[in-house]
Amino acid sequence: MMAPFFKYALFGENISLVVAFLVGIGFGFFLERAGFGSSRKLAAQFYFTDLTVFKVMFTAIVTAMLGVYWLSVFGFMDLSLVYLTPTFLAPQMVGGLILGAGFVVGGYCPGTACVGIATGRIDALVLFVGIFAGVFGFSELYPRVSGFYMSTSMGQLTLPQVTHLPYGLLVFAVVLMALGGFIGAEWVEKRMAARKVEA
Amino acid sequence: MAEFMKKLTLNGRLAVVALLLGFAALFAGSPYHGAGASVNTKELALVMATGADQVGVTTLADWIIQGKSNFRVVDLRKEAAYQEYHIPPAENIPVAGLAQSSLLHNEKVILYADDGARAAQAWMLLRAKGYQGVYILRGGLEAWKDSVLFPRIPGNPTPAQLVEFARTREVSKFFGGTPQALAGDSASTSQVVMPRLAMPAPQAAGGAGAPKKKKKEGC
Repeated sequence: MMAPFFKYALFGENISLVVAFLVGIGFGFFLERAGFGSSRKLAAQFYFTDLTVFKVMFTAIVTAMLGVYWLSVFGFMDLSLVYLTPTFLAPQMVGGLILGAGFVVGGYCPGTACVGIATGRIDALVLFVGIFAGVFGFSELYPRVSGFYMSTSMGQLTLPQVTHLPYGLLVFAVVLMALGGFIGAEWVEKRMAARKVEA
Repeated sequence: MAEFMKKLTLNGRLAVVALLLGFAALFAGSPYHGAGASVNTKELALVMATGADQVGVTTLADWIIQGKSNFRVVDLRKEAAYQEYHIPPAENIPVAGLAQSSLLHNEKVILYADDGARAAQAWMLLRAKGYQGVYILRGGLEAWKDSVLFPRIPGNPTPAQLVEFARTREVSKFFGGTPQALAGDSASTSQVVMPRLAMPAPQAAGGAGAPKKKKKEGC
């Protein structure tokens, strides 16, 4: 568990597993509710006909950001305890492209594949097997790629550190970006729907 | 305003809320609390008075021999001194680096330096930062040397003392130390050599076989 409540000793390791289980069930439930158990819905994202993925993800980001920010400002949470994934710029860009390509081809990302399996989808199951084949292949290749894997290490970065802008200003900017993104997404969806009708 | 909100869809209302919270963030400043901290002086005084803030060197030695891993030992001294000798499982974190260290708030952490003062300062810092399971090694490294590595054992013990001394001797040997005979002649106490760092391995690791066996007999 990476959440600060665990590090704050509000509960121990055993309870943290229970909490992780409950959070996982909640996550899966909302992915399914958003329709992410279907590879058709997910793949439609990349043809700009259905931008639900974009909207759901950006909503989650904005909600989490505002929640964490205001809880920290009011002293309910210690932001310095939250784990940040370290940045390895070049390998993460390559990894992101590979994941994206797999997402387009397979129609699932790892989390949504689990959701798809839970509702009995065979394509999700096949993709899930593929994930582990990929993990295995990478592990076997690791000695050869470890140099690149560890390259361009930039440590644990946050937007305020990189941009040297005030934290609050960036919070506002991300909210504006998200709201702008939602309006843009709806517009794109309408245009693509119209084009479909024409064709 | 209420009229305007009523006309909106649920999505629209949520968007307005997000916009307001985001706008207010412009003026709310940084969410990081910086270097400040607050302490419950009453609680800390009670812990100090009852001695619940300390762990004895022999207790720690027993934990290490038993292969317990539910605690972390932190050496607060300079790196050079740490390289020269440190208690086997200890990691080196100078006092200035404690705030950025990887210690968790719910871990059992045992602090030591050469004597008690430096460790007490670090203990106070960590408690103020909200770390719950922080302990001071009573007497620091000096006590570790005196009671664990080089214990003084009288030349003519009573039968009752014998058992205890045999145990002390085993513990000392486990950590690569040499028990000192306290027979009165100064010649025997002159050879105080710090143990080599590679020697003491916790029970779990498949290190040197000899001390491992002996220790098992002792338990």
